[in-house]
Amino acid sequence: MLVLLFIVFAGLAVGCAVSMVAQRNPLYGAISLIGVFISLACLYVTLAAPFIAAVQVIVYAGAIMVLVVFVIMLLNVEEEERLPLRLRSLIPIAVGLAAILFAEAAFIIFFVQASPATPTRNISDAGLTASIGAGLFTTYLLPFEITSILLLMAIVGAIALARRGGLLPQDAVVVPGAQVLARDVLDPLAPPEAPPIVAHTTTEVERQLGLEDVRHLVDDE
Amino acid sequence: MTPQLSWYLALSAVLFTIGAVGVLIKRNVISMFMCIELMLNAVNLTFVAFSSFFRDVSGQLFVFIVMTVAAAEAAVGLGIIITIFRNRESLDVDDASTLKL
Amino acid sequence: MEDLKHLVLLMTGILVAFTVVMTMVAYTVLAERRVLGFIQGRLGPNRVGPGGLLQPLADLIKFIFKEDIVPDKSTRFVYFLAPVIATVAALMSIVVYPFGPDIHLPFIDKTIQLVVARFDIALLYVLGVTSVGVYGIALAGWSSNNKYSLMGGLRSSAQMMSYELALGLGLIGVILQSGTLDLYSIVEQQAGHLGISGWNMFWVQPLGFLIYLIAAIAETNRVPFDLPEAETELVAGFHTEYSAMKFALFFLAEYVNMFTVSMLATTLFLGGWNGPFVHQLPWLGVFYFLGKVILFLFLYIWLRGTLPRFRFDQLMSFGWKFLVPVAIINIVITATIQWTGFFDLVGKYLKVSTGWWG
Repeated sequence: MLVLLFIVFAGLAVGCAVSMVAQRNPLYGAISLIGVFISLACLYVTLAAPFIAAVQVIVYAGAIMVLVVFVIMLLNVEEEERLPLRLRSLIPIAVGLAAILFAEAAFIIFFVQASPATPTRNISDAGLTASIGAGLFTTYLLPFEITSILLLMAIVGAIALARRGGLLPQDAVVVPGAQVLARDVLDPLAPPEAPPIVAHTTTEVERQLGLEDVRHLVDDE
Repeated sequence: MTPQLSWYLALSAVLFTIGAVGVLIKRNVISMFMCIELMLNAVNLTFVAFSSFFRDVSGQLFVFIVMTVAAAEAAVGLGIIITIFRNRESLDVDDASTLKL
Repeated sequence: MEDLKHLVLLMTGILVAFTVVMTMVAYTVLAERRVLGFIQGRLGPNRVGPGGLLQPLADLIKFIFKEDIVPDKSTRFVYFLAPVIATVAALMSIVVYPFGPDIHLPFIDKTIQLVVARFDIALLYVLGVTSVGVYGIALAGWSSNNKYSLMGGLRSSAQMMSYELALGLGLIGVILQSGTLDLYSIVEQQAGHLGISGWNMFWVQPLGFLIYLIAAIAETNRVPFDLPEAETELVAGFHTEYSAMKFALFFLAEYVNMFTVSMLATTLFLGGWNGPFVHQLPWLGVFYFLGKVILFLFLYIWLRGTLPRFRFDQLMSFGWKFLVPVAIINIVITATIQWTGFFDLVGKYLKVSTGWWG
């Protein structure tokens, strides 16, 4: 029974992983990866680690992949096109290395003795929530606290990366048809309280910045 | 017959290899990121398998920490990807080969 | 052989639970239309069958025979997958709820548990399945190739993810008090005097109950949080381009979600199958459980008929800036009260669960 479950979930995991690598549309790749995560969660349940299985579904399949799917939808990512390989000689090298890997695996399986004491599989109670809680808050308390600071760093970093602009001074006014630009964004030597630049065209901006003769590649006005 | 430890380790190695091949083959930044997540999960499987067979809870605690770090990495990494897309208008890693836009 | 018997028993349990839930969901749809009608000063549908009781059957026949329109440029595979994900995720969580106490069948001389699967991380399982349900909506919005659907889908998924956080944090108080994630044990601990005084809603987690209720209403995209699927705002949000059976699946998924969330509220806060005289007559437990769930469904319908809806930015700022801090404060208060043993005396007198510290 457990063997059947292992074969089913392992097959699903490998199948979805191969599908993810083979797909050219990233959204289908994301859906295949969700399939991998859920089959891995089922494997964790057969390994008597129910808490980790639930956390895997909640964190990986339910949060990280939703983020990835959001990004794919927002950026409207299209399919990759097939481009020819630039180095033709890579294919025989890859085949050779794969053959070496298979030879090694076959050698280990058939000619190396099994290690003496692989324990028998009974249901271990290391996976219960109580044991994980006990370990997490006594022996591994320091990594736990550092992880919380790491998450805080991630939150601050993500918000800092996602802000658009926001560098205008507080008293910026909107002049219809004109752009109001903070001076210390365009001119690195200006102090932060310098008055902003209000202009309609690039030449006006250059004039206000004091750059008189800049060559334009395109004539604009 | 019950599943042996070596089966789980072999499955983890296969998943890790597939992820590594994906990182090398793919040209889309988001697809590469997803293959990296696959490699992290293969390692998680190894940890959980050892933790179950040797009755030690440390493996699962490490998996917990790895998942948290992966979540933090996903948030910041996707933010960076969005910023790159805004500046370069393309998600192809072959196009992002110089520091200048 | 033992495995096979166990499997057959599980399948029977799943079938029975599925039938019960689907029937009640079908009649919830009818009840909503009738009750909304009464709130709005009119009668609801009452022509099909006595008092409209065959209306769900008529709706089903209509959905089956409607023309199935698929938009031309939609992504085919994802378009068909999205309602499936939504429905499966909604239905998967009914297996962990205890519908009643252990029933001792006299003629076969066996005790059956009225819960399909009892395991010790049941609450985390429910949270996980709810997290996966977000995909149905996001993928539906994307694959319809329609900008209103995409907006509705993204807004709805963002709302669901934000309020999932508040939901999970609101549940931590209950977990602290009960000391277990197993829903069966949480229900057993709420016995109390006469089956009523031990409920988590009254003395143990009043604030947690309110947080959970608000987060649950937002999680299921119901009024007052239903901007992403409101008809006057975004046509119909993420399910604009779905017709006939696929729309029926989304509709069903929404009502099953409502039902599931009500069952969770009943189990965690209202004492599950507990009630007066439930230990003498175990079958009464099932009626108490379903009665409490119906009470929550009525609350949902009542709110729909009464309240206006939030704007999306009001909704998001409410979820992040008010509900999450209040939930964290709830956890801090609960942990402090447990640690100091403040209410232990009262707890022992009222027979409420005072946490695994006390």
